[in-house]
Amino acid sequence: MTPLFRKLLVANRGEIAVRVFRTCRELGIGTVAVYSEADRAARHVREADQAVAIGPAGALRSYLSIEALLRAARETGAEAIHPGYGFLSQSGDFADAVRDAGLVFVGPPGDVHRLMGDKQAARRRMAAAGVPVLPGYDGDDQQDARLRAEAERVGWPVLLKPSRGGGGKGMRVVRSGAQLDSALAASRREAKAAFGSETLLLERFVERSRHVEVQVVADAHGTVLHLGERECSIQRRHQKVVEETPSPALDPERRLGLCEAGVKAARAAGYRSAGTVEFLMAPDSRFYFLEMNTRLQVEHPVTEAVTGLDLVRLQLEVAAGRPLTLRQNEVESRGHAIECRLYAEDPDNDDLPSPGRVLHLSEPEGPGIRVDSGLSAGSEVTVHYDPLLSKIVTWGADRPEATARMQEALRRTVVLGVVTNLARLRAIVEHPAFAAGELHTGFIEEHLQQLSPQTCPPPEAIAALVAAIGLGHNARGRRKVPDPWASLGPWRLGGGT
Amino acid sequence: MRLRCGEQLFEVQVREAKGGLEALVNGQALSLSLEPVRDGVCVARHAGGLATFHFARDGATVHLFWEGVSYRLVEAREGARKATRHDAGALEAPMPGRVSAVRVAVGQRVRKGDELLVVEAMKMENALRAPRDGVVRAVHVSAGEMVAPGRALVEIDAAGAGA
Repeated sequence: MTPLFRKLLVANRGEIAVRVFRTCRELGIGTVAVYSEADRAARHVREADQAVAIGPAGALRSYLSIEALLRAARETGAEAIHPGYGFLSQSGDFADAVRDAGLVFVGPPGDVHRLMGDKQAARRRMAAAGVPVLPGYDGDDQQDARLRAEAERVGWPVLLKPSRGGGGKGMRVVRSGAQLDSALAASRREAKAAFGSETLLLERFVERSRHVEVQVVADAHGTVLHLGERECSIQRRHQKVVEETPSPALDPERRLGLCEAGVKAARAAGYRSAGTVEFLMAPDSRFYFLEMNTRLQVEHPVTEAVTGLDLVRLQLEVAAGRPLTLRQNEVESRGHAIECRLYAEDPDNDDLPSPGRVLHLSEPEGPGIRVDSGLSAGSEVTVHYDPLLSKIVTWGADRPEATARMQEALRRTVVLGVVTNLARLRAIVEHPAFAAGELHTGFIEEHLQQLSPQTCPPPEAIAALVAAIGLGHNARGRRKVPDPWASLGPWRLGGGT
Repeated sequence: MRLRCGEQLFEVQVREAKGGLEALVNGQALSLSLEPVRDGVCVARHAGGLATFHFARDGATVHLFWEGVSYRLVEAREGARKATRHDAGALEAPMPGRVSAVRVAVGQRVRKGDELLVVEAMKMENALRAPRDGVVRAVHVSAGEMVAPGRALVEIDAAGAGA
């Protein structure tokens, strides 16, 4: 069979570029990586057949430059462009520009991106289609006084959301009228900086809510399927940290209702390709449309783990114009899968991003463990991009087995040189409330606010470390200073080695 | 060798002995043996059992991964005891980034946890908070400025001391 495409360019970096290349290799599709100056030595560059430099470290002139990306595609003869997630993945302008250049964009058409990227318009469209939405305000009048009046009408607390954008940037919970002015200013500032638009949406903030989402896939021939749901309730700063499928909160009847609402939303959006419809689930189990992500989701591997499907492959088939051969009743879910996102950030220090150089790396492996990583030893983690380093995914016959595997996988994940959230991930999946499936979006604040006291290694570890360095089993790393071991006194080691 | 782990200091001496190594850690004697696995990975046999550990060096900083936990230690060298260079009331930039807002001025009284300034990195606004109660003695940066990690940003005198 001829490949779906001869050659595909991934307009992205890090783990997602590496992941898309994997499927391409399997399908006999040639691969092109692009990279900024900061990513010259990055892992995704090495894992492609070809790599093209597209600009400086700042994303605006590299990974966000439509012109540079199209030039790279032309130079290499790529037929299709996969946008990954983040960057231009939800840009209608990019999707249109790719099509206008005579290439295939792996994702929905530009107008679908524009509709769903405008949270106001998306909310109105969904409400009209009968998909449930939260009490809120999605109007055009953005004056402070109007927003204040609408917030009073909806009732405190409310959540401010930039109408353009995602990833939690610019979102603020406002608990009372006194906080509204400063929250409006901060949200608008962040929204303007990140998305170029100050327009805000206001919705009731539901305490102890869950985040559940439906994976859909649609072709150009009218077929829309759902591939089950994912629960992504464990978040910090509105960004997901731990995701799983199936959701421990749903019984079969509610699951069906949710997934059918997802399909309805995708149809109302005129969707094509793989996409995700996000819902908020209130403590009373009612769910409300949040937004639709018109791209592959970071957490897509958990769906792949339980369904056995390759979502990138489905995206490529749809992009090539093929009809989905899969039927809804053939989509089966087996067992349970969990994903943990490893971030370069410091949970003991307000989650501050923590750039640096990865000096040493060891990723877990074993039955039921998958690691999607863009890292390698020596990788530079820079301030220019998202702090996501890698994703650890475990599968088990049931939730306890998947959880046990995750606990073990995290214990065997080693990243030295940059501060990561690994200790927090462990604390989450080892927490009794996680085992009980009692998840909500305030989980981290509720259960893990108490910072673990800074501990020091036990004496035998200190002794072993000093011995290992002294014996010259040294790990790679910058040696800017002369080796202090040369000046060790009578205890000096290594005479015989 | 002296290694600092937070506030704690470890005085360590290691020597070869029959069948392995002998170590003194803050006066405590330990026997162990070591087998290299690969670059940056060793197996240690000690009284408590067997442990595979990972380590890496970056100048004076030594990173250790032991029994599922990462540690960051700093070699304390003679002549390098500049621990008092910045006192507990000094706020340093924890990462490179751009100062997007300065919320305090010299002479202002602050409480531990108050937002002092905002640094933008990785597209997120990060609030930097007062490490203790006190009075702002100095503000070394202004909005819009790029800062490198370790750069002194704000200094705070202990409550009462400067008032």
